[in-house]
Parts: sequence; structure tokens; C-alpha cells
Amino acid sequence: MDSIVLESVSKIFRHHPALFNWMGRERSGETRALDDVSLSVARGKSLVLLGPNGSGKTTTLKLVSTMLLPDAGRVLVQGADTQGAPNEVRKHVGFAVATERSFFPRLSARENLDFFATLDDVPHKARPSRVQAMLERTGLLDAADTLVMKFSSGMYQRLGIARALIKEPSVILLDEPTRSLDPASAAHFWNLVRELPAQGATVILATHSFNEAAAVGDFVAVLHHGRLAGYRKVGDSSVEELRSFYFQTTGELDEAAQLAARGWR
Amino acid sequence: MKLAQLLDKTAAIVRRDLLTAIRYRTGFLITAAGAAAELAAFYYLSRAIGPGFRPDGVDYFPFLLVGTGFYTFLVMGINAFLVIVQEAQQTGTLEILMTTSTPAPVLVFLSAISAFAGNTLQLLFYLGAGLLLFGAPVHANFLGCVVIFVLSLTIAVAIGILAAALQLAIQKGSALVWLLGSGAWFMTGTLFPVATLPRPLRVVAQLIPITHSLDGMRMALLQATNWSALAGEIGILALFSLLLLPFSLMIFSYTLRRARLQGTLSFY
Repeated sequence: MDSIVLESVSKIFRHHPALFNWMGRERSGETRALDDVSLSVARGKSLVLLGPNGSGKTTTLKLVSTMLLPDAGRVLVQGADTQGAPNEVRKHVGFAVATERSFFPRLSARENLDFFATLDDVPHKARPSRVQAMLERTGLLDAADTLVMKFSSGMYQRLGIARALIKEPSVILLDEPTRSLDPASAAHFWNLVRELPAQGATVILATHSFNEAAAVGDFVAVLHHGRLAGYRKVGDSSVEELRSFYFQTTGELDEAAQLAARGWR
Repeated sequence: MKLAQLLDKTAAIVRRDLLTAIRYRTGFLITAAGAAAELAAFYYLSRAIGPGFRPDGVDYFPFLLVGTGFYTFLVMGINAFLVIVQEAQQTGTLEILMTTSTPAPVLVFLSAISAFAGNTLQLLFYLGAGLLLFGAPVHANFLGCVVIFVLSLTIAVAIGILAAALQLAIQKGSALVWLLGSGAWFMTGTLFPVATLPRPLRVVAQLIPITHSLDGMRMALLQATNWSALAGEIGILALFSLLLLPFSLMIFSYTLRRARLQGTLSFY
């Protein structure tokens, strides 16, 4: 059974200039962030979204999480429609957003996690142990009682992952989760993500890293200009195979490969 | 949502706000010092004006004390809704809060309870200090005070939800609070009786619910007015509550859905 289904989903962002714009150069217009995208992810599988900046990866995740609503088509999470039953959808979804600015700066990591766990209906008695376990799994135990305004980018990212996982959701959305992590922390995180499907969770992860895609993905979908440009099983594909699949489907120039061919590494 | 869950969430939000307030150490002191200076200023102003000026039949100092204390309480409460949404937009927590299992209107409502709890303490401190230190006379119908307080609170919650909706819709909910804070305050009878205003403004004043909140609270707290005399103000406040609360919730749900459609939830 599919945990996540996108049926012919389109998302358009319309820009309206400010009311008194006679001094500015802002123009009205629209950006088609997603254009008739259909895809699905089976329960217990992980899908990696690849695509250049502005291709629609984050928009896809936001649509699944109910942060955004589609202009056309529909998004189903565990059978619930994000427009018709958003509260039902939110019970299933944990979302690690890419931005660092999503915590209460004058609360500690532990206090932030406890707060969000409460809002996500984690039972009162289970909360302290769940918070402790998540801090341990994400390597934040030593900084558990530090105010998060003192955190580095990597620590914010780990805390975001901890928050997404704390309610033990059946659908996990990860937006560039290792962008600010050092290589060892990233590898540790990939191991953590690999365990999730085995526990029955469905994962969608957006990234620019082919290493990450190869490490954690069961499938990859390539988005380009808001359209689904390619989709394939990862299986035993190497990083290089994913890389050439990406550049073939997007039609972009692989300048790094050209440099490598010229001996510049 | 079960009651235990609701209480648990309320406690979590109160705890978050308390911890944040405590960690902004100087905030507490500045607020307390500001309130004390205001009380002293009103006390000496009323002495300067003299005992001959008795608006609505009460001494001027208690008239000012209840007017400014209760008005500030209501406007601060309304402002709290706006600040909750504004801060969540600025700290980037709004989008993520909107994806938790707690529905958005419940979340805003619980956050406001926390803000109102803090404001109630400030109000009690302000009135208590005014009554004890400066000896303002009290002849209270306590139950009447509670009824006026609860109805006024409901109206403030409704206007606050409208301010939050405006913040979501055009990122300028502050306009509504500004209107109350600077454009409408002088018409509500905070510092002087509404009766001194010209007739057209008196009519407008009657359309502002806070006018009736202040009138009602002064009657109940300072004049021990009986129920039949209070009934008029209570009826008007109940009518405002019944109209404004469902209307504001409807507008908030609409603007939230619109922000999700337009992708402007985190704009500020």
C-alpha cells in the first residue's frame, strides 16, 4: 500500500507587488513550483528527491506536510487528503525543515523537544525518555541543556531531525538534512535513516547529494522546473550512475565531470 | 482532543512563555518599574485636579486606576495574539507549529491563555498597588466584577484572533492594535468620562466594546452596583462576545487556509 500519493499536483506561487510600489521595481507574476506531478511512495520505502535549486523539492515536502495546499490535484498521506483531513495527516508526518530558524531560541534543546513533543501528543509519561533517546541518537546529549540560540548550524540540523522523529511518525520528511553536517555526522545520520523504513516508516528526503541518495534511497525522483523529469530504483546503483541519471534527465551540463575528464580534481 | 491533553499542552505553552520571559531578565523589572511610575503619575495628577472632579460619581484616582489598568490589560491581551503570530513568523516556528498534531486555532488560543495569565498578574499587581499604596476606595460587587471580566476577556480574545488573522493575511495585524492603542483609546473612557465627548464621538464610543468593559468594571468594582443596574452593560458585552468570537474564528481559519494556498505562512 502507498503511504504517500501525489496525484497530478500543481502548485503556483503568485507574486503581487506591494500596494504602493511606485518606488520599487517589483512586478506581478507567478512561479509554477510544481506542474502536474504524480508520484507515490510505498509504506516502508524511502524516496530521494533530486533536482536543481527551485525545482520543487521543498514545495513537494511542504505539500505533504500540509504547510502548503495544492492549487490542483491532491496529496494523500496514509489515505488522508491534505486538504480534506489536514489534522489526520499531521498525526502521521514528521518534518525536518531545512531552515535553522524554527526553534524557540531561549529554550534549551531538551525544552524545545519536550515542547514540540507535547504539541504532537507524545504521552506525558513517555516524553522524558523519548526526548533523552532522541538527543542521544542525534548526538546532542552534551548540548541538551544549552539554549538553542547558541547552537551551530549542524546542531540546529540535528535538533530538527530529532524533532521530526520524536513522535515516531509513520511518514518522515527530510529537507536537505545533512547540508550542515560534517562527514562523520552525515554518515551517522544515513545509518539512522536506513533504520527507519525497517521500522515501517516511509521517508522522503530532498537533497543535492548523490552520495546521500545512494546511501539512503530505495528510489530517486528527479524534479526539474517543477516537473517530474525522471524516476528510478536505486538498488545497487553507484553514486556515479545516479549522477549521470540526474544530468541525463535534467539536461544540465555536468561541468564537474568535464573538469574531472580534464584531470582537474 | 482529550481534556488531559489540552491541559498538558496549556502547561507546555505557559512553561515556554515563562522560561522565555525569565531569560529576558530585564523585561520583568522594566515592566514593574513602568507600572509603578504610571501609578504615581496618575495619583499626583488626580491630586492636582482636586477632589471636585468626580467622573461618574467616583473619585478621579480610582476612576483612572480601573480605566487605565483594565484598558491596558485588554489591549495587551489583544496584542498578545498578534505578537504570538509575529514572533512565530520571525523565529521561523510558525510553519512547523502548523504541522504539529495540535490544530492551529487551538494553538493560538492556548498561547493567548498563557499571555492573558501573565497580563492578569500584571493587572492584579497594578490594581493592588493602586488600592493599597495610594488608598483608592473600593465598594465591590465581586461576582459582577468576575462576569464583566470574563465577558471582556472573551471579546479581547475575539479581537486578538482578528489581529492574528490580519497578521497572517497582510503581515500588518499591528494596524488593528494601533487603532485600539492610539486611535480609539480616548473614546473608550479610559482617562475621562465618555459623556464629555461631542455627540458623534459618543455614538462611536458606544460601538467599541471596551467602552462597556470599562464602564461595567468601574460600576462593579468601585460602586458595588447591583445586578439590575449592571444588566445593561452585561447584555451589551454578551452580545459583542456572541457576535465577535465565531466571526473571528471564521476569519482566522479562512486567512490560515489562504496563507497555506499562497505559501505566505512564514512571510513577515
